[in-house]
Amino acid sequence: MIFMLALGAAVWHSCKKDDPAPGDTGTDLRSIAYDPKPYTVIKPDHFPQVPIPADNPITVDGVQLGRRLFYDPILSGDSTQSCASCHLPQGSFTDNLAVSVGIDGIAGRRSAMSLLNIAYATNGLFWDGRSPSLEDQALRPVEDPIEMHNTWTNVVAKLKVHPTYPALFRKAFGINNTNEMTKELAAKAMAQFERILISSGTSRFDRYLQGEKDILDDDELDGKLMFFEEGGSVGLPDAQCFHCHGGLTLTGNQYFNNGLTEAATLEDFPDKGRGGFNGKATDNGKFRSPTLRNIALTAPYMHDGRFQTLDEVIEHYSRHGKNSPNKDPLIPQVGYPIPGTSPLQYTGLNASHKKALVKFLHTLTDTTFVNNPDIQNPFF
Amino acid sequence: MPQLCRPLVPRNSVPGALKRVCYFNYTSGTEFRGTHYNMKKILFSGLLFSLFTFSGCLEDSAPVNDVTITFKALYDGQPLEKYKLYDYNTYRVQFTRFNAYMANIALMNGNTPLPLSEIGWVDFTPDSAPTDKAVDVSVTFNNVPEGNYTGIRLGYGVPASLNAKQPKDFAPGHPLSRENEYWLGWGSYIFNKIEGQVDLNNNGVFDGGLIYHCGSDAVYREYLFDLPVSVKAGAAEIVVEFDLKKLFVINGAWLDLNNPYNHITSNDVADVVIAKKLMDNFDAATTVKQ
Repeated sequence: MIFMLALGAAVWHSCKKDDPAPGDTGTDLRSIAYDPKPYTVIKPDHFPQVPIPADNPITVDGVQLGRRLFYDPILSGDSTQSCASCHLPQGSFTDNLAVSVGIDGIAGRRSAMSLLNIAYATNGLFWDGRSPSLEDQALRPVEDPIEMHNTWTNVVAKLKVHPTYPALFRKAFGINNTNEMTKELAAKAMAQFERILISSGTSRFDRYLQGEKDILDDDELDGKLMFFEEGGSVGLPDAQCFHCHGGLTLTGNQYFNNGLTEAATLEDFPDKGRGGFNGKATDNGKFRSPTLRNIALTAPYMHDGRFQTLDEVIEHYSRHGKNSPNKDPLIPQVGYPIPGTSPLQYTGLNASHKKALVKFLHTLTDTTFVNNPDIQNPFF
Repeated sequence: MPQLCRPLVPRNSVPGALKRVCYFNYTSGTEFRGTHYNMKKILFSGLLFSLFTFSGCLEDSAPVNDVTITFKALYDGQPLEKYKLYDYNTYRVQFTRFNAYMANIALMNGNTPLPLSEIGWVDFTPDSAPTDKAVDVSVTFNNVPEGNYTGIRLGYGVPASLNAKQPKDFAPGHPLSRENEYWLGWGSYIFNKIEGQVDLNNNGVFDGGLIYHCGSDAVYREYLFDLPVSVKAGAAEIVVEFDLKKLFVINGAWLDLNNPYNHITSNDVADVVIAKKLMDNFDAATTVKQ
């Protein structure tokens, strides 16, 4: 009952917008059955519960609509690009490019972030956190001139006369008329689909966590210990990874300056990141920490794709990054402390440590997720 | 008004005679928020809460009132500000993060606790804050029976019974559902995070990070603060201040940041020396007043 009320309220709220043109009576959809069924989001038992906003409950039909919209190039100005053009399943919903390229061949300035476990990202989306929710985020690329370069007015107009979409909107949201189809409902549907992009729990790391203690070899286990700051008692250095990539989703969804840019002052970052969005100079050069799940599938790395391999990433941290006024204080503390130094210096990591960390990162690969038929392109 | 403080030993806090009052379930797990940023949510929650408590308390004829506790972060008596340089002994420090779990909050009537909240998370330096100034974090407890209370109990961290759980055990939005406040390797929540840097030579160059992440059952602490709290018709307010300067002056001596091993709580869950020192000193760093 609550579910139905919430769904009804959501539809009512959304349908106040995008009034039809005068004289446009739309198409009556009431002959199509509206029977919303809650979608059960499948997650590993050891994962946190999935946050779902009360004003956008996930339904079977909502996910189906969102999935089609996500993969449909109808959203772009020339019908050549969809969301999936930059977020492909085989790349764990990245495009494996340093920076993404829009329909006009213009390169963006940042790399496409993985959408794996994006439902848990409740502290802002995009590298700079400028979008507060998946519902808000889904609206933006369509009208971005260097991405899909379209307008929602055009998109909604095409969806209204499409042979398939009016019925899908009816089934997903209970609208009575095509004139009630809006960009907000489209965004809600895509957000529903994105919230089901959850790890399968079958990576080797997950199997280790669930009791298969022999599944990691010695190197991988050493890497895990360094990653999670557990290795001190067995003589391993601290790699400081988990502070920014913590929890089971391996991201705190917080913002850090991880030492990518040498900057004498806070104004010297070519890409101000978080600070460019919120105007706080002390947030310049900070970016959202991405999930490390499936990290082996998402190269290249960092917001600008500067590192081609995980070896390069680990080398960056082992060398304690580049200096700037707000570099995170944990970055220089990778390695063993060097006795007698004041201020205390850290050794960085040796070759075997780096190798172990990279091997551990490969245990996070979840091919069951990327091959899940329920999240693939429905048009093939 | 200065307060007297004493460690709560032994810890045998049994909820008092007011256990029947329905709001205890509601106040279990409070996501304490900066008051400036979530008024809509607070109002909505307040409405729901009012309906809930009203319907549940019809049989309770005791007068009911609101008690608001506001947590503040200070350094040397002044509101804390991220990235600001502060004098620290002969050095200079800056802080970049300060958050903490607060547990088992109760008003005390002599030795009898009136539980208000089982657990809450106080973030003085949220990413969403519009400036680098630490935010004040307020939480209001409704339906507190009228009376003259003698003090307040504060728990610092996550009690063992809750620390045995994991974020997956809590619904989204519950303070203990926060993944980045859970230390997977240690099997513990991170009771508090205090991060920053130190400039040992006063030359404008930071010489080391300060990473105090206290966690594990061994460092959970509860303290009682003597403070007359009169709850009657209208609202009562209690202010809880944490002064980081006082936190780092332990038994009259500064935690020596020239010793680099004092820059972190520990790398070993079995040997959380600095974490224990800080958690033992949180009572001295806390001022409770009305």
